[in-house]
Amino acid sequence: MRLAVPTSRPLSRLTETRLLFWVAAITVTGFFTVALALGQGLDGNAFIVPTAFLVIAFVVHAALAMRGLRGDQIMLPVSLGLTGIGLIVIYRVTAGTDAASLLTLQLAWFVVAMAAFLLPLFVPRDLSLLSRYKYTWMTFGLLLLVATVVRGEEINGARIWFRLGPLSFTPWELVKIVLVVFLAAYLDEYREVIASRRGIWRVLPPPPYLVPIVAMAFAAMFILAFEKDIGATLVFFGIFLAMLYLGTGRATYVVAGVAILIPAAYVVYRLYAHVQLRVEMWQNPWQDALGSGYQILHGLFSLGNGGLLGAGLGAGDPQSIPVVWSDFVFAAFAEETGFIGALALLALYLVLLYRGFSIAIAAPTTFLQLLAAGLTFVIGMQTLVIVAGNAKLIPLTGITLPFVAYGGSSLVTNFLSIGLLLRISAESRT
Amino acid sequence: MPEVTFAVALWALRLLFLALVYGLLLQSIGSLQRALGRAPAVAERGLAYLVVAQAPPDAHRRGERFPLRAVNAIGRDPGNDVVLRDDFSSARHAVVSQDAEGWWVEDIGSTNGTFLNGDRVIHRTVLHFGDEIEAGRVRLRFEHA
Repeated sequence: MRLAVPTSRPLSRLTETRLLFWVAAITVTGFFTVALALGQGLDGNAFIVPTAFLVIAFVVHAALAMRGLRGDQIMLPVSLGLTGIGLIVIYRVTAGTDAASLLTLQLAWFVVAMAAFLLPLFVPRDLSLLSRYKYTWMTFGLLLLVATVVRGEEINGARIWFRLGPLSFTPWELVKIVLVVFLAAYLDEYREVIASRRGIWRVLPPPPYLVPIVAMAFAAMFILAFEKDIGATLVFFGIFLAMLYLGTGRATYVVAGVAILIPAAYVVYRLYAHVQLRVEMWQNPWQDALGSGYQILHGLFSLGNGGLLGAGLGAGDPQSIPVVWSDFVFAAFAEETGFIGALALLALYLVLLYRGFSIAIAAPTTFLQLLAAGLTFVIGMQTLVIVAGNAKLIPLTGITLPFVAYGGSSLVTNFLSIGLLLRISAESRT
Repeated sequence: MPEVTFAVALWALRLLFLALVYGLLLQSIGSLQRALGRAPAVAERGLAYLVVAQAPPDAHRRGERFPLRAVNAIGRDPGNDVVLRDDFSSARHAVVSQDAEGWWVEDIGSTNGTFLNGDRVIHRTVLHFGDEIEAGRVRLRFEHA
C-alpha cells in the first residue's frame, strides 16, 4: 500500500509559478484600476487585500513545490485567478458602501479555503480511505443536512444556513462533495450490477443494488426540499444523474431521471410560494419591476449596459443589483468588462473543466476516475446554473459562481475539490 | 488637461486588465497543450513489456508480448502475471518490479535460476530497457512501452 503522496524533486512546478505571476498581475491591476476609477485611496483594502491574497497564494504554491508534489500545475493558478477576479468584483461593488466588510470576510474565508486545499495534499493517507468508509461519509453528510433542518436559520426563503458561534456556513456545499465521494465509491463497487439489465422487467438492474443509491439521493433531496432551496436540489439531482451515467454508461438513467424530475418539479412549484415567485419573475420580471423582479431586471440592465467592450472597470452601475456580490457577480463582471471579459471568464472555467476531466481519464483506479469526474462536474454544473440564471435563461437560484462569488462555504469546498483533483493527478503519473 | 490624461490612463489600465485576463487564459491553454504532449496515451500506460526472444517451439511464439504492471510475478503457475509454459522454469520463478529508482528483477527461489544478460541473478538487480532475462529455456527481452 502506498502511504506517502508521490513526490519528485523541488523546482518542478515552474509552470505553476509562471501562471501565478499572471494571476498576480491581474489582481494588482484590477484593484488599482477600481480604486482609481472610484476615487478610493490606494491605502486600506485596495492595498491590503490583493497583497494578502497574493502572499497566501505564493506561500501555498511554495509549499507544494517544497513538498515536490507532482501532477497538475494548471488548476491551482486558474482557480486562484478566478478567486482574484472575484475579490476585484466584490471590492468594486462594496467599496464605500455598508457591505465593505464582505471583502475582508471573503479574504478570511480564502485562508480557510487554502487550508482545505492543502488537506488532501499533505495528509499522507491513501485516497482509498474515502471509498472504504463511504457509508460513514454519507451518514455524516445526511446528519449535516438534518442538523440544518432542525437548527438552521432561514435567509431569503431558504433554510440552508447553519450558525456555529460567529461563523455561519451552508452545510450542503460540503454535502455535495460527500455525495460525489459516496456515489463514486458505490458505483466503483457495483457498477457491473447496476449497468446490467437482469433485474426488474429486464430493463433495470436487480433492486437490492439500486435501493441504496436511490434511497440516499431521495433522502438528500427530501431534506433539501425542507430547506426550500431549489438550486441546491437541482445540483444534487444533477450530480446523481451524472455519476450514474459516468459509472454505468447507460443513458436510460439520465432519461428516466429527467422524466421523474419534470413532475417532481411541478409538484414543488405548486407547493412552495417562493418557487412560484421565482418562476414568475423569470417569465415576466416586469410585472413587479420595483419588487421581486427588481434584482433580475437590474441584472439584465447590467448585462445590457456592458455591451461588447464593457462600461469599464469602476464605470458601470452594478451596485444597483441587490446582493450583487453573491447572486450576480457574473452580471457585475460582464457589465464592466463586456462580452469580451465575460467570454474570458467562461473560458477560464472551460480550462478548469477540461483539466478536471483529463485528470479523471488518466486516474489510476475506477474510484479515482469517478471521483475526479464528479468533482469536476459539480464545478461545471454550478457555473452553468448560475450564469444561465443571471442571463434569465432559467429561473434564478441561489447557487454561487464557483471561486468568484462571495461565499465562504462555497470557496472552501471548491478549493477542497481542487485539492482532491491535484492529489488524484499526482497519483496518476508513473 | 489633467482630467483627460486621467481618463486615458484609466482606460489604458482597464484594457491592460482585460489583456492580462486573456494572458492567463492563453498561457494556461498553452500549458494544457504542452501537458497533453507529455502525457502518454491512456492505452499505453502498460508500463513496459517483456517480449519473448527465444523459447521452445511448443511453449511460446517468438515476439509474444507481456505487458508489465508495477509488480509482476513470473513463473509456470497460472497465478503469475507472466505465465511461462516451459517445464524448465519453476512455478514461482522471478519477480520484475518498478519503484521510484527504476525497474528490478529478482529471483524468488527458482530451481534452475534466473539469468540477466547471461549472468545469474543472485540479488535484486536493476533492469535496463533491452536487457534479456532467462528463466528456464525462455528468454525474455525487457522493452519500453
